[in-house]
Amino acid sequence: MKCTLRVGIFVAAILSALPSFGGARHFTFLYEANTSAPGSLELENWVTWRHATGAGRFDQVDFRHELEYGVTERFQASIYLADWFYETDPEHSGSTYSDTAIELIYNLTNPVVDPLGLSIYGELRAGDRLIELESKLISQKNFGPLILAYNATLESVWEGNDLAEREGEFSQALGASYEISPRISAGIELLHEFVFPEWHDTEKIRNFFVGPNVSYRHRNWFVTITALAQATDTQDEPDFQLRTIFGMGL
Amino acid sequence: MKKVSIFVALACLLVSCKSTNYVPPVTSQMATPRKGQHVDLAMLREGRTLFVHRCIECHTLPVLWRYSTEDWPDIVDNMSHRASLKPAEREAIIAYILAVRFAEH
Repeated sequence: MKCTLRVGIFVAAILSALPSFGGARHFTFLYEANTSAPGSLELENWVTWRHATGAGRFDQVDFRHELEYGVTERFQASIYLADWFYETDPEHSGSTYSDTAIELIYNLTNPVVDPLGLSIYGELRAGDRLIELESKLISQKNFGPLILAYNATLESVWEGNDLAEREGEFSQALGASYEISPRISAGIELLHEFVFPEWHDTEKIRNFFVGPNVSYRHRNWFVTITALAQATDTQDEPDFQLRTIFGMGL
Repeated sequence: MKKVSIFVALACLLVSCKSTNYVPPVTSQMATPRKGQHVDLAMLREGRTLFVHRCIECHTLPVLWRYSTEDWPDIVDNMSHRASLKPAEREAIIAYILAVRFAEH
């Protein structure tokens, strides 16, 4: 008990000594090129509701709890403490742990003073019969109160028994966010996915989502919400998804 | 026709946003002593770098003439904790902003 108390006090002392906020997000399906300030620590909670109708109808709510730490002026590291989801469909419902992950972002150029802000992103996920690698090129340009961002992402997934099932995905996302006031931004996000089951493109699976976003920030917290509707007609993919990210400095 | 109108509107928006220089580069004129205070160029350059890196973590950069020279120190002070600014870094940002403001006059 004493040991637990000591550990608790030690962790609380470290957290209180940290200089706070990692930054606010203007998008939820895109990353921005700037990284967190060195020494800052932030907790982000992601909630994504996916809804599909028709024969394969389902509702799924994904949760992510992420700690984000600014290592240097240009480098940040994050841990996804837990990714889990609750799903309900005509046959069953329940919650399932999915994976835990680490994410690293290195900033190359600044979106304000350089012609284009660029960052590179790497992520490794591991879960129950799941390994996933993700790399991303993040680009961004700020035009005064307007932020334009583009992400190109390549994902490889190995899952199932002996990790025998493989899937690849390339996706690109484009977003615009206009700062109405220092606290409020609103904009649009577009997501275009190319899915390659077993790394083949025989099924020609293409998904396109589009929808608005809004972001509010105050003191050391922010909340950003995006609602995306599917513009294609892919079965097994959600017709609608709503993502909320709530972040707070620790 | 509708597509062209949207394109023209977007182009106008981009041009209007971009035509303002939100972070003017540091010049030797900005380091001119004023009110008995000496500001060195290295400090101003550091302030500009921090301004474009730290402040955009939460919001886009405002045009520097939006707030008065009297207001800027308090504005930066209020956000310095969130931006994880050390006292010297906060002073460098304030010095840069005020130097730009004075150089404009």
